[in-house]
Amino acid sequence: MRYGDFTPFDIVLLLQGLGVSLALFVSTALIGLVIGTAWAVIRFYRVPVLMQIVTFVAELLKNSPVLVQLFLVFFGLPAFFKINVTPTEAAVITLSGNSAAFIYVIAVSAIESVGRDQIEAARVFGLTRWQTLRWVIAPQAAAFAIGPLTGLLVNQLQVTSLISVIGVMDLTKVGNILNLRTLKPFLVWTAVGALYYLTAKLVAYAGGRFEKRLRAHTAWRGL
Amino acid sequence: MKFDLSILAKHIPFLLEGAWLTLQACTLAVIGSLVLGLAVGAMRTSASPLLNRVAAIYVDIFRNIPFIVQLFFFYFGLPEIGIYIDAFTTGVVALSIAGGAFTSDVIRSGILAIDPGVIEAAQVSGLRKSTIFRKIILPIALRASIRPLGSVFINLILTSSILSTITLNELTGSAKIVASNTFRPFEVYFVLLVAYAALTYAVSILIGMLHRHLNRHQQEGAV
Repeated sequence: MRYGDFTPFDIVLLLQGLGVSLALFVSTALIGLVIGTAWAVIRFYRVPVLMQIVTFVAELLKNSPVLVQLFLVFFGLPAFFKINVTPTEAAVITLSGNSAAFIYVIAVSAIESVGRDQIEAARVFGLTRWQTLRWVIAPQAAAFAIGPLTGLLVNQLQVTSLISVIGVMDLTKVGNILNLRTLKPFLVWTAVGALYYLTAKLVAYAGGRFEKRLRAHTAWRGL
Repeated sequence: MKFDLSILAKHIPFLLEGAWLTLQACTLAVIGSLVLGLAVGAMRTSASPLLNRVAAIYVDIFRNIPFIVQLFFFYFGLPEIGIYIDAFTTGVVALSIAGGAFTSDVIRSGILAIDPGVIEAAQVSGLRKSTIFRKIILPIALRASIRPLGSVFINLILTSSILSTITLNELTGSAKIVASNTFRPFEVYFVLLVAYAALTYAVSILIGMLHRHLNRHQQEGAV
């Protein structure tokens, strides 16, 4: 047997890579969701200085390539601050920040989709700021944001493929290794692409299901 | 460590060379994806179910697979079937194909947004199908979709940084070389980040101006 042949273990390797990609995707999406929402709340309350900083950072993150952000964190930070950054850490930091910037935009427009008159009504009823945010704004904003958020997450899943460049063993990196060993690029990259495609479809499907649930209270139930 | 940008001064010509390559690749890719997007957008809005289906599959595939995987597919795969082209051409082709999927979606929604009465009026006037498409549908659709097209193209510029992974020394690729020559990755990548942000900001301003110019007759009060 040549070493260039495919072995059954290659499937395990591909699935391992998919697992790494998925784990990073889910964790960075969650971190990004928390940070992005926090930024949007800062903007909603017009917190002085912080608001300007948030807007500027989000613009910078949205308007620069993820690859460059990744290099800045992975090569730049260790050299400048004399710290150790592993590829996985760099990937988590960059992808979370990048997701946060895009989620911030969605969250801002979602909060703004809730009419100011509702907020005023809530204040008149004596709800505190937190209660207004939690019980009046959040449910409506979530139902508004879930559509664009699903689109964004499908995109972010594809962005995770870039971390292979700094040596994280994700699906793309596994594809690269298999490609170099077997020299069958069409087969390898088709398999990798198919796995990404299926995962993206799964994310879109899950988003659709979730959206239906969030909008259940406004759905037509019949007479 | 001190944040010192002066060390970059003597590398600026080299970086500008990279920026020039980025500009060339992006210009060609924008043209390519616009042509492809127009064709596919027309297919997706055509009456033929077959063309419609083929176009939808193309868009679905290239939107749901990471660009880096597509790039590797072409870069490693094309020589396998006897097509030997350099990294630059491969990069431009891959960018055009990926960008075309996004562009076609924008153009499709631009076409679908046209008031059917306009098209019916053109048909009643006895214009040929091709004339209607070229002289009636396209101008209206393109004019309306300048802004979303602009954001697709800005995304294309950011995506072009990924071309550095196939040995193409465009802006990101040459910055990588400078970073490893000067041992100052933080400064190099920070400047690169700001440069990309400035570049895309400039493009978005240009797009806004173009949008206002093309839609100057649509504004309220225009004669």
